[in-house]
Amino acid sequence: MYTVSDTMNTQFKKGVLELCVLVLLDRKDCYGYEMVEEISRNIFISEGTIYPLLKRLKTEGLVISYLKESQDGPPRKYYQITEFGKEKKEKLVAEWNEFAMGVSNLLYNRNVDMEGNCDESG
Amino acid sequence: MNQDDYLKELTRLLRKLPKGERDDVVSDYHEHFIIGIEKGRSEEEIAKALGNPKTVAKQINAEYMVRKAEDKQSAGSIFEAILAAAGLGIFNLIFVAVPALIVVALILTLFAVGGVMIFGGILITLSYMFQPLIPFHLNLPPNQGILGIFEGILIGVGLTILGVGLVGGMAYLTRWLYGLAIRYLKYNIRLIEGRKGTKKS
Repeated sequence: MYTVSDTMNTQFKKGVLELCVLVLLDRKDCYGYEMVEEISRNIFISEGTIYPLLKRLKTEGLVISYLKESQDGPPRKYYQITEFGKEKKEKLVAEWNEFAMGVSNLLYNRNVDMEGNCDESG
Repeated sequence: MNQDDYLKELTRLLRKLPKGERDDVVSDYHEHFIIGIEKGRSEEEIAKALGNPKTVAKQINAEYMVRKAEDKQSAGSIFEAILAAAGLGIFNLIFVAVPALIVVALILTLFAVGGVMIFGGILITLSYMFQPLIPFHLNLPPNQGILGIFEGILIGVGLTILGVGLVGGMAYLTRWLYGLAIRYLKYNIRLIEGRKGTKKS
């Protein structure tokens, strides 16, 4: 099931998609299809949008790519995160956490800070 | 739409990209089809999940145009980049293009004024310098004597210097505005990350 609506603003999702890709690549090197599968399990995306994104991440030096043989079929293009990409990922994750916490505080009228201290109000 | 149609359509839509770059993009989508088929999906199913090739191509084209405008600075390439980015539906073309055209018109006018000042100044200087030799040249105001000539030359030289200053300043300002336009387009193409701290460390 998709947890994020497919009607959600595509620009907004594009920003989130970059975060997801960097997080996945920080765990292990992946090929494009693999990442699409992993992300699609949680968020609805147009599968085609990931390749322009990967291309841009490559131009910006956040990831590199290499070809690797696969057992079944032609070699696949694998992506690997760079040191610069890892720095960027850390920054995006921090921004995301701050953002997500802010929004959910607002939605549920709570007051949770980044350390997880809860101050119920109302 | 099957694999062949999809890849052909994508290739056609990316015709403005250099061949190497286009082939690289299309090969990514080709690989996507191959793996998808291996996993038992139909070509049509994969094509549908990839999304409209037009949407995919627009994004790739816009990023390419902005990159090109950044590398090869020209009025044409920045205009192409603005058009491509507007095609993404991120901002209203009229909202951006009209102010952009006004700014361009203003820049051109000021450049023209600077040019007129430079050549006018040179003309005045020369006229005064040769006034003693050709008494009726150009109907200049009848400034009599050596002081009048000196004054005229000074005005001419001053005007030329001001003109050079204006053109120089405008050249600097134009470069700065160009950079600003590129940053604005980039910011629009990737809204979220452009929000803060995108400087490369």
